[in-house]
Amino acid sequence: MDKNLVKDLPNFRPNKKPAKNTVKAIIYHVVGIVLSLIFLFPIIYMLATSTKSESAYASSLGSLNMFLPDFANLGTMFANYESVLVNYDIWKYALNSFIYAAIVIVLNVLINGLAGYVMAKLRFPGKRLLSFLIIFLIVVPVETSIIPLYSIVKIMLGLKQEMSVLGVILPATISIFNVFLFTQFFEGIPKEYEEAARIDGANTMGVFAKVIMPLSKPIIATVAVFCFIGVWNDYLWPSMILPSANDGSWPLLPIQTALMSIQSIEGITTGEIMASLIITSIPIFIIYVAAQKYIVQGFGTAGLKM
Amino acid sequence: MLNTTLIILAIFIIAFAGFAIYDLATAKRRKEVYRVKSSLTAYLMLLPAIVLAFLFIMLPILYSLGYAFTDYYLLKPNDINFIWFDNFKAFFSELATKGTLYHAIKNTIVFVVGVVPLQIGTALLLSLFVNRPGIGSKIFKVCFFAPVVISLSVTSFLWLQILAPGENGLLNSLLGIFGVAPHDWLRDPNTAMPCIIVLSAWQGCGYQMLIFLSGLSNIRKELYEAASLDGANGWRKFWLVTWPGLRSTFVYIIITVFIGACRILTQPMLMTGYQDHTVTLSYYMYQQGYTFRWVGQSSAVALIMTIFIGAITLIQRRVFREKK
Repeated sequence: MDKNLVKDLPNFRPNKKPAKNTVKAIIYHVVGIVLSLIFLFPIIYMLATSTKSESAYASSLGSLNMFLPDFANLGTMFANYESVLVNYDIWKYALNSFIYAAIVIVLNVLINGLAGYVMAKLRFPGKRLLSFLIIFLIVVPVETSIIPLYSIVKIMLGLKQEMSVLGVILPATISIFNVFLFTQFFEGIPKEYEEAARIDGANTMGVFAKVIMPLSKPIIATVAVFCFIGVWNDYLWPSMILPSANDGSWPLLPIQTALMSIQSIEGITTGEIMASLIITSIPIFIIYVAAQKYIVQGFGTAGLKM
Repeated sequence: MLNTTLIILAIFIIAFAGFAIYDLATAKRRKEVYRVKSSLTAYLMLLPAIVLAFLFIMLPILYSLGYAFTDYYLLKPNDINFIWFDNFKAFFSELATKGTLYHAIKNTIVFVVGVVPLQIGTALLLSLFVNRPGIGSKIFKVCFFAPVVISLSVTSFLWLQILAPGENGLLNSLLGIFGVAPHDWLRDPNTAMPCIIVLSAWQGCGYQMLIFLSGLSNIRKELYEAASLDGANGWRKFWLVTWPGLRSTFVYIIITVFIGACRILTQPMLMTGYQDHTVTLSYYMYQQGYTFRWVGQSSAVALIMTIFIGAITLIQRRVFREKK
């Protein structure tokens, strides 16, 4: 009897708890909206400015209109995008970046996937040295050797400007970390799959192409997504290895490097700069939305196990 | 250069052959069976990766190690002399006279000390904030993550407009409402580095927030319930349950953010150019090696950086392992 009384005690004041929770929820959401605005204001500013002509931008300064599109001229909202795409050829540089990324993704998945498969599934003398090297090379900070890398690639490719395209692609096709990712994933694939294929007469390459790769779509997607983001966002290396990055006349520049030269074009408006920045960001935005699952997987599985 | 490369290649092949023979010799003891055909296939499949890794990863590391002790000037690749520790001695004199290297080290330390706690602290608070059910918290999570999607160079150009000097800059015009005079944020030595710290943390912390969230999701719910039964309030729950549960995530994040911060280069390069008040170690290394073409000196800086980053990483891992 007493026990039941205690148990029912909260029911004597049924209204208090929900009310408290509602207040809490309102406070939570207000704080959240304020924080979100603090985080998003540069992006909102970028989006709003990209719709404005230079005079509209100048008159919006110092008021709330900085963060709002130019309502008076909504018809010409995309004029800056048009001018950036048509006059400054930004679509060509975007296409370059897409092509670079596509080649790098295919080669990277093939080369590192093969290596990962060998490290996970095959036995051969010298394997322990290679496993040690993989762990060692993941730990060594590679970026600090960018200058020797530059001199090696320069000497390898010679003085022909066209060859420098290979300088953008080749170093990006090898990634010890991706070998490590592939190895970890392939180790989880049960032996039975391979053995079944071998009984059917497949050789090692056949097993890799027909059994392992089709089973590995998630890890391939993860590697491909990170490759794409890496190539698309890379600014420093292409600007070093490709010719005359500064005058911007070279047709095969990737988009991030081209941005630098577009910035410094005489007479470019703030709105046009913002439009070019947004166009540069859109593919990455789409990738993050579409491949969210694989991105989370990427740092969820590999990152935290280090 | 070609000769050196061939010698390194030979050493690599001999070392590999040595280890392979050792593996073969001890195969019986380790109850391992090697088949000739399968081994050859393995080597063949590894070949592209090994060739590329040798050329673009191992060689640069080894060369960076070797060049640090030479006077290599990029335009004179046939005239490389060993000057041993002269590059490092030159650093000391540059430090003593407060040259560019002095500023580079100082600015890098300022950046690391500023950005690591700011970025990780913000990421942790944001992850605790959005770690609850409901549509609102999901939308907030997307908002906080949005800057990560923007590349470093786009971030730099965007903030270049926000921090623009005169009344045309966003920040200056906002402050102008309150009667604050316009300020040249990126040319003033006192404000340039703090601005770069804030925008870097802004751009990066959403990523760490997601990693913290996946760490938070691994903490068992029963622990919180047990703590509640023992009468722990929100703050004590954080110290008793959340914090210990997040420790491995936390160390991983510290290491990665720290290494990333030590390498900072793009933001000062695009936003201020090569200036004493914003030059960083990576930028100094890049400028020496690429723009001024003193590969020897640049490699010496790279060597110091590599040792420094490596040592800190090892220390952080050791601390992590002991607590685990």
